[in-house]
Amino acid sequence: MEIADSTLRILIGKPGLDGHDRGAKYVAHILRDAGFEVIYTGIRRTPEQIVESAIQEDVAAIGLSLLSGAHIELFGRVLGLLREREASDIVVFGGGIIPPEDVPRLEQMGVRAVFTPGTPARAIVQTIQGLLTPRPLVQ
Amino acid sequence: MTGPIHTLVSAARAGGPASVRAAARLMSLVSDDPGRLVELLQAVGGPGSPEALEGRPRLLLGVTGPPGSGKSTLTDAIVREVRRRRPDTRVGVVAVDPSSPFTGGAVLGDRVRMMRHATDPLVFVRSLASRGHLGGLTPGVKGVVRVMGLIGCDLVVLETVGVGQNEIEVAETADLVTIVLAPGQGDSVQLLKAGLLEIGNLFVVNKADRPDAARLHGQLLAMLERQDRLPGEIRLAAPDGCHGAAPAAGPRAEVRRRIFLANALENRGVPEIVDALDGLLDVHGADWQARRVHGWADEVRCAVLNEARRRLSTRLSTDATLVRYVEEALEGARTLTEVVDTLLGSAAPDLAHPSAVSNAASRGTATPSRRPRTKRSAGGTRAASKTPDERPQSPRSE
Repeated sequence: MEIADSTLRILIGKPGLDGHDRGAKYVAHILRDAGFEVIYTGIRRTPEQIVESAIQEDVAAIGLSLLSGAHIELFGRVLGLLREREASDIVVFGGGIIPPEDVPRLEQMGVRAVFTPGTPARAIVQTIQGLLTPRPLVQ
Repeated sequence: MTGPIHTLVSAARAGGPASVRAAARLMSLVSDDPGRLVELLQAVGGPGSPEALEGRPRLLLGVTGPPGSGKSTLTDAIVREVRRRRPDTRVGVVAVDPSSPFTGGAVLGDRVRMMRHATDPLVFVRSLASRGHLGGLTPGVKGVVRVMGLIGCDLVVLETVGVGQNEIEVAETADLVTIVLAPGQGDSVQLLKAGLLEIGNLFVVNKADRPDAARLHGQLLAMLERQDRLPGEIRLAAPDGCHGAAPAAGPRAEVRRRIFLANALENRGVPEIVDALDGLLDVHGADWQARRVHGWADEVRCAVLNEARRRLSTRLSTDATLVRYVEEALEGARTLTEVVDTLLGSAAPDLAHPSAVSNAASRGTATPSRRPRTKRSAGGTRAASKTPDERPQSPRSE
């Protein structure tokens, strides 16, 4: 089997205290079916755990799912830690119960896409595919 | 010689937070293209380098067993126990989960059980997808383990995909194999069967709080009484084409097999397992490291044979004479030996890389005295075992 490009890996995690992981697991599943390798990290993770895991797993993107309302704080913390670790090339996207008025602010902070309930699977996959470019296998 | 691998190896060696990223990137490079393992070994220094003398990791522990038996939870508990006992020890985990045969995608979920270690700077967890490989591991795994050694991991736990009865590859790769079983997965006939259960050194009956755990424990004891030690070196029916030259690493036949009752989730039975690992490491650690270093030479051999095969294959399908010989062989007008000798005789002198030509010439492959010598130069392949008497039997008309 020839692989021309690196396989794209995405970490899916739930920062914060809510335990509603149905959306995160759904997104993990549709990304799997779109050919991504998804590292699923489970519920109630700290931003530190998520960022450190993302670096060790060498992912191209982090997907954060949050339903507790603390998205501005926690997404911001993940983005800040990525900057500290000089890993801002890792794309951050998110989803969950996010009020529409918060979306522009999240985007301004550096969240590249926000998927709220009802977003079709195909739209999620297409958006993420558009955000990520496979690394060519250097010789 | 410099390149991305060399740059990353230097960065990974340097230590500190940035080295984690470099190590992670190296792991991606060797997972995406396992053929670069040799390049990695060269950059790290290979046998004889300081790292090789340090021999890290000291223990490469395989953990295998059926899906849901508790491999990841046990791995997590072992890592916690080792970190508790030896606070300065760096530990690595390589966890493999299956790739989709349809899309190539995967959900890698082993890390979920190990998140307590996520912010421990001395624990490095890497999830890998099987990427179409069926033996329980994935082709990039050796390179990832090597990078774990490079960054100083003393223990590396290698967790396979959830396995059934036949995925025994981990026995070739790891120093020691732990098989995790849970009650309720079949009767005693399952324990009679060959395959997976033959390769275990340590058996862990996990979820030992379940009522039928004692029965499984008893059945395993009976199984081990029938066969106290492992039968010997591992024999795979279809080696991947490059382990013929040197004996493959095998299960650790010298280790007496043991059974543990455990409840990994509650850390019960885990200190006893780590005691056993420490004891075995004291006795066998040096042998295991030597075996692994020996295995790196196998990787180089393997890469050489793969490349030689690739070049020969190109020659076989493009050279007009050889194309004709193949057709004639199909019609029965020519023996396979004739075709082989013609291929080797025509290909060996001029297919060597320019940098290697002088080397090849000094061994005489460039001389017109064709077949016998080139045949021998393919030492290690099956052709080398042929008797010299066979050679004159292949007259050629060119």
